[in-house]
Amino acid sequence: MTEVTEEVMVVNALGMHARPAAALVQTTLRFESDVHINFRGNTVNGKSIMGLLTLGAARGSRLSVTCFGPDAEEALAAVRQMFASGFGED
Amino acid sequence: MDLSRLKVKRKQFIPVSRMLEHMTQDLDFELLAGFQGVERPVFSWDVNRPGLALSGYLEYFANDRVQVLGNTEIHFMKRMRPAELANRLNNMFSFEIPAFVLSRNLLPQSILLDMCNRYGIPVLRSAMSTDEVISRIILYLTQEFSPETVLHGTAVDVYGVGCLVVGKPGIGKSETALELVERGHRLVADDMVELKRRRADYLYAQTNKTVKHCMEIRGLGIIDVRALYGVGRVRNFKRIGLVAELEEWDEKASYDRTGLLEHHLDIIGVKIPYMRIPVRPGRNVAIIIEVAALNQRLKEMGVHTARDLNEDIMRSNKGQTR
Repeated sequence: MTEVTEEVMVVNALGMHARPAAALVQTTLRFESDVHINFRGNTVNGKSIMGLLTLGAARGSRLSVTCFGPDAEEALAAVRQMFASGFGED
Repeated sequence: MDLSRLKVKRKQFIPVSRMLEHMTQDLDFELLAGFQGVERPVFSWDVNRPGLALSGYLEYFANDRVQVLGNTEIHFMKRMRPAELANRLNNMFSFEIPAFVLSRNLLPQSILLDMCNRYGIPVLRSAMSTDEVISRIILYLTQEFSPETVLHGTAVDVYGVGCLVVGKPGIGKSETALELVERGHRLVADDMVELKRRRADYLYAQTNKTVKHCMEIRGLGIIDVRALYGVGRVRNFKRIGLVAELEEWDEKASYDRTGLLEHHLDIIGVKIPYMRIPVRPGRNVAIIIEVAALNQRLKEMGVHTARDLNEDIMRSNKGQTR
């Protein structure tokens, strides 16, 4: 079991809304590891759309992503890539 | 269920402004003086009556608590000469004091208000009696300082028993909750359940203010349970009395078949009855949770079916021993 934590930034203009949340969940669910995302002291499950929506993370927000499990490294890499690409949005 | 990685939040302090907001909303507190000090932190849930401090004894002065001034303190101050009172207050104010609270709509010496304005110490006032003010403040502050956490799961009020349904993503927590709502029960929160401890042994689930009673059902997307089923099928707050963990059906695993053993789960220091429910296609989990809730109520009323039946059997066996 490995645990990795990294800071990611929201770069798309509309921030974390329904579409990015759904896309992110689709990615995180492929991994066995737990994915937790912390923003302003609130930690939510990275496999939960509703959880991600409660973050209220606008563009420029820095979130802390923690992956824990056998494929933690891979999960984190996938999450990092999704944030960096702005979930395919502007 | 592994809760060791659960993140528990506990407030270190709360600003007086937050307390004031609550107290003016639900109770009749007003702010008399010290407006600029409303961001002062309160570090303790307890209150202090500063009688001894006013009389000049400042050792062991519980300055970090909310200071409640009742009839005794106000009339004691009125007997003091203004210069003497100013001096005593000056000494008291060399400590950090979060706020003063006056009961019974008492009017303090103007010198107290003037000095609190100068030092920026908020002075709050209520019409309630002193003991009521004290118990309300303590009740409010213990709630604010109680530990809280967020759990991935679903909370539904089933026949008056708050049921927390947990399990791996995709196991069917939301679908189970939806079926329970369909059967007349009330949704508290889906996906993100905010849990708060009250007193030593009460655990409460709370609705998230952003997503409210919305839930995500795979294949449908986001639905609003309140809009679809009406206000009668939702609630914002419920004490948790049962935790049900859904897990994949495993032929080899041994599930509880008698109900004689009682399992508990410790969630932020509160022990909650806990059961594991194996799920497989065609098994109606909602009905099982419904019955579990009813059975829990029966136990609380003193009827423990599994144990009672077993005792009957053992007694009868004993009688027949040859």
